[in-house]
Amino acid sequence: MTTKTIIEFRQVHKRYPTGQLALYNVNLTIRAGEMLFITGNSGAGKSTLLKLIALLENPSKGDVLIDGTPLSYLQARQIPNYRRRIGFIFQDPHLLYDRNVFDNVAMPLLISGMPPTDINRRVNAALDKVGLGKKTKSYPLMLSAGERQRVGIARAVVNRPTMILADEPTGNLDPELAQDIMHTFAQFNDIGVTVLIASHDHGLVERMQKRIIVLQRVEL
Amino acid sequence: MPEKKPLARSQPTNNLSRKFKVWVHHQQQAIDFSLKRLWFNPISAWITLIAIALALSLPTSMHVLVKNLQSLTHNNQSVPTISLFLKPKVTEQQANDLAELVKSQPEVLSTIVVTRDQALQDFKKIAGLADTLKTLGENPLPNIVVITPKMSDLGVTDADLQDFTKRLKTYKEVEDVQIDIEWIQRLRAILQIAERIVAVVAALLATTVLLVVGNTIRLDIENRKDEIRVTRLIGATNRYIRRPFLYGGLWLGLFGGFLSLLVVNIALLFLVDPVNKLSMLYGSDFNLGGIDLTTTLEVLAISASLGLIGAWLAVNRYLWESEIIND
Repeated sequence: MTTKTIIEFRQVHKRYPTGQLALYNVNLTIRAGEMLFITGNSGAGKSTLLKLIALLENPSKGDVLIDGTPLSYLQARQIPNYRRRIGFIFQDPHLLYDRNVFDNVAMPLLISGMPPTDINRRVNAALDKVGLGKKTKSYPLMLSAGERQRVGIARAVVNRPTMILADEPTGNLDPELAQDIMHTFAQFNDIGVTVLIASHDHGLVERMQKRIIVLQRVEL
Repeated sequence: MPEKKPLARSQPTNNLSRKFKVWVHHQQQAIDFSLKRLWFNPISAWITLIAIALALSLPTSMHVLVKNLQSLTHNNQSVPTISLFLKPKVTEQQANDLAELVKSQPEVLSTIVVTRDQALQDFKKIAGLADTLKTLGENPLPNIVVITPKMSDLGVTDADLQDFTKRLKTYKEVEDVQIDIEWIQRLRAILQIAERIVAVVAALLATTVLLVVGNTIRLDIENRKDEIRVTRLIGATNRYIRRPFLYGGLWLGLFGGFLSLLVVNIALLFLVDPVNKLSMLYGSDFNLGGIDLTTTLEVLAISASLGLIGAWLAVNRYLWESEIIND
């Protein structure tokens, strides 16, 4: 295991415009290639923490550093490129319902302007990995919740990100399916991808035997 | 382990041909996608297209009309003429002599004698007039000498013209002098005003097109907000997000322009026959001109740019408003 730090939180505070304090003085170091769970009750700031990494939110105070560089140094036009390093998975996978599974997964590759033949290969590989190789032509509405979540995962990993951020990825799924998906994440971790998963499912998290960060709701 | 990479994964900027390929793929995607959007939303697309076509066809048809009228004042066929109406007692022979005499003057290019019999025959050809002429019994028309002046020698001012007219009036055979130049000058003045009006109308309706396209694209953005959020999240640049909408606006403008040209051409077809009849009555070989290639290309270029600009405004406003997304 390398000791190189990929993500670092330095005294990060996040207060939303509504006045709600989501994070208070968070200090956290994550090594490259690590797999790590973030748990805590709802409202403890799990989602916020992930969003700060993906630059979907900015910290009110403090710095988030990626590879030693503060994200606040990034210029607006560099953000899209930075986000391509991240595979983000939501509880609701945010699929586009007017496109089939293949086209949904192909989106990150289209955005990076990859030639169609390469796209074909990569998308099929990603869908095979999540066990949806036979559903490429299906539309999201024809799929079960678990299958949709797996399409979301395929879309997150198709661009070979260095970081996977998953926000309650198994929230809607039955335990067996949840376990399955966690193992899929573990597989990506095995090939060197840094994986951060926010989950309130303590049992599931314990079974994975990885580092666990517990966030507590701030009482101020 | 993934090798160390800079914070923002560097794009393959070092390779120009690869960069160009990416650009081509992006354009293809956007063109393909925007055309599909049009095709699969036929009702909203057609309503917008028709609105654009109608807005554009008014200034286009006015422009064609003015151009046609201008051709009346430019063409050789309608070089201004001066008609000498001779006194009733002047014979055909005397008329010919006068024509010769007038022709010898430096300001005159040519003269034609229209005898009263010829004039009567011409009038009879005109529908409705034949019966009227019959009731008159005797031919009421005088002999006429039609003078085509040399504009270069005559001078252009009204004073020059009036001088020349006065001299013509001094011939004892001449009853009256009528100048066709006057109406041409008036027509020119009127056309100048008409041109201004066309410009104003065109500007107003161009704004309309801009708003129509802008609004259509705005609605399209509204419908695709989720998609924009997701694409942004997976690393889409603003340029990537903007591109299909810009093409969408371009198509609306371009196809709207096509449609407006179609409308104007059909309208012109309706006019060709009656206009030809009218010009025949005036003894002119004037032909109603359609929309020439230059105008066609101009209309298409203008409408396409309007579509593009309208879309640009709509998208940029949205992108500016939604710089930070909150999921």
